[in-house]
Amino acid sequence: MYGGDEVSAIVLDLGSYSCKAGYAGEDAPKAVFPSVVGSIDQTGANDEIKPERDSESMSDSKTGVKALDSDKTKPKRKLYVGTQALDYRRDHMEVISPLKDGVVVDWDIVDNIWNYAFRQRLLIDPKEHPILLAEPSTNSPLQREKAAELLFENYKVPALFLAKNAVLTSFASGRATSLVVDSGGGSTVVAAVHDGYVLQKAVATSPIGGEFLTDCMMKSLESKGIVLKPRYSFKKKEISPGEYQIVDLDFPNTTESYKLYSTRAIAGDIKESVCRVPDTPFEEAAYANVPMTPYELPDGQTIEIGADRFKVPDVLFNPSLSQTIPGMESIADSTSLRGLPQMVIESINKCDVDIRRELFSSILLAGGTSSMQQLKERLEKDLMEEAPQAARVKVLASGNSTERRFSVWIGGSILASLGSFQQMWFSKAEYEEHGVSYIQRKCP
Amino acid sequence: MEAVVVDAGSKLLKAGIASPDQNPALILPTKMKRVLEEGEAGEGEGSEVEEVTVDPVVRGFVKDWDAMEDLLKHVLYTLIGWEIGEEGQILFTDPLFTPKALREQLVQLMFETFNVSGFYASEQAVLSLYAVGRISGCTVDIGHGKIDIAPVCEGAVHHIASKRFEIGGIDLTNLFARELQKSNPLVNIDISEIEKLKEQYACCAEDQSTFDETQNSCQTEKHTLPDGQVITIKRERYIVGEALFQPSILGLEEYGLVDQLVRSISTVSSEYHRQLFENTMLCGGTASMTGFEERFQREANLCTSSIRPALVKPPEYMPENLAKNSAWMGGAILAKVVFPQNQHVTKADYDETGPAIVHRKCF
Repeated sequence: MYGGDEVSAIVLDLGSYSCKAGYAGEDAPKAVFPSVVGSIDQTGANDEIKPERDSESMSDSKTGVKALDSDKTKPKRKLYVGTQALDYRRDHMEVISPLKDGVVVDWDIVDNIWNYAFRQRLLIDPKEHPILLAEPSTNSPLQREKAAELLFENYKVPALFLAKNAVLTSFASGRATSLVVDSGGGSTVVAAVHDGYVLQKAVATSPIGGEFLTDCMMKSLESKGIVLKPRYSFKKKEISPGEYQIVDLDFPNTTESYKLYSTRAIAGDIKESVCRVPDTPFEEAAYANVPMTPYELPDGQTIEIGADRFKVPDVLFNPSLSQTIPGMESIADSTSLRGLPQMVIESINKCDVDIRRELFSSILLAGGTSSMQQLKERLEKDLMEEAPQAARVKVLASGNSTERRFSVWIGGSILASLGSFQQMWFSKAEYEEHGVSYIQRKCP
Repeated sequence: MEAVVVDAGSKLLKAGIASPDQNPALILPTKMKRVLEEGEAGEGEGSEVEEVTVDPVVRGFVKDWDAMEDLLKHVLYTLIGWEIGEEGQILFTDPLFTPKALREQLVQLMFETFNVSGFYASEQAVLSLYAVGRISGCTVDIGHGKIDIAPVCEGAVHHIASKRFEIGGIDLTNLFARELQKSNPLVNIDISEIEKLKEQYACCAEDQSTFDETQNSCQTEKHTLPDGQVITIKRERYIVGEALFQPSILGLEEYGLVDQLVRSISTVSSEYHRQLFENTMLCGGTASMTGFEERFQREANLCTSSIRPALVKPPEYMPENLAKNSAWMGGAILAKVVFPQNQHVTKADYDETGPAIVHRKCF
């Protein structure tokens, strides 16, 4: 039992695209930064001259083991977390993600991300604040135990609670039963929440998320000959008073992953500013003459975007559309992928007949990608066509796009500041007494 | 009774009765000396042995609460003239990213030790913009202990897009010291002396190519120190200014100031870009370096987007060196609004709810 009410709880949501952290009770997270990190292998650059480096005192045990090429000892690497650190271009810096298909594979990186969030963004000591951690709706018991162990052992948090993303979104809108469509960076998850619990058999996932759409946009623009230059690769020089010229800078040691990361950042911004979901399924012919929207790239170049404005968002509803974009054919077997309306129907059909009606009338939109314009209207329209006649379909989304993007975090903020929640924390004392597997019981 | 506005910086504490179009009445250093025998701390620069210098404010945040208490006692009771039992209302300024716990401690100190009748706290970025008559814009606050870049939209700081750098005037002073030591190896100079030299001589080159030229040839200045030694200052003065635009000189892996400003603003949604770019404000002590503004403008012209950062012109009725004290002046303006309208935290509020009230009432 942890009865702390004076001290503010911290809500932490590590998503596939961005990590959100902040105090409970507030209406927006204070710290939002990418969930990828930059990593420079300390030994990587010296691989070719291994024999001479053996005498270096970088790490005596490491140099000894390196000769055996053991896979137990990871090569030492320096990690750079956060927008400021990632923005700076460094030689040999790779951009890596701790998640693969939504599951954490590299706990060391997660540790670094959490440390950065606590110590450098929020400027708090985790020993003094209970932590509410948001986890994916399909999280395995092993993952939960690892997260709990990491927080209790490394950070010595006084209390912890793990809540599923879908449940938090549900709470953010004040409902105990709803169908949550969480369209985030790495994937889209449709989960049914009933009385505050996720119905595991009714969860549908698809790898099409914001990043997939960004890639579609990027490839589409590249095929049209538009070059997206990352911010670090050019500089404006004054050749004579009043006259300027953009000069390309060449950094041969920049890794491909960093280049891709920077280019994606620009393509993502284009996607967020100009894309709109079309009212009807996208057809090449119909949108051939649509008026073009201008967009200014960081290097000052203005580009015009026409049909892509509507084509890229329609991939959410019709994944096979991505096949028509040159460069995207090889990505995923899109015949097995379902569009958003199909996922919703599938998820609801897996639930008990009794609650289906309620689920249809409270469909919630969450996640960064769901703040795309006209998504709510299109989804409602498509669902009304596909749903059984008697069902009344209602898609709810908060009007404010910031709220949609952070709805999981906001739900966590609401939950952790409720008076009636304070007795539900999994405290350090309980962890020490019952062990980490007790968390499965305490945090359903 | 008029409210008192206090802006506690890492180097200078600005305090005074709230009077919006005048400089703060008191500007005194926050550095204190602890006199070990009596266990009290006092102001001023003594040169006695056996004394420890205490910095209550480090990098913008209050770290030593006992010293802060003593400092505030001195300021409020002795210098401003409050009487015990008749304390008035006080407004404090916070830097960016102040942790919640710090704010609560401050409000607790104010109500329990000082027994003030009203309290308010506000972020420095917003106040600096109030001082120039704006509610939206981007402030670049270059202080002694830190640099804050904060986009403000309609009076609310955009925390997600703000940046903070742990470099400031103090690091420039250390850089100056190192460089002078290299070129004048026989001379021993005290840090406080270097601080004064920096303020007198440091300047910014016109642009990067001019800076590179100073490597080959530049003016030599001779300066006589109080103890009689003579030092020559050549290129070092430009290096100090350049460090803000090329942080690699200080050993930091960051882009220059204007670049960071542009990146910070592009994180905010595009409808605010024009407003933020056109209302950029430079404030803080270090921003008053010779040639800094011109260099900033020059670098801003090299900005590749179509909207370029444009510096805000302070109103004519404001005193000359607005940039140094803009947070205090903004606080004075805000104090005139908040306290009469009873939007501040009163003693009754504090007694009822406790320190957490500060997060609800002051934002």
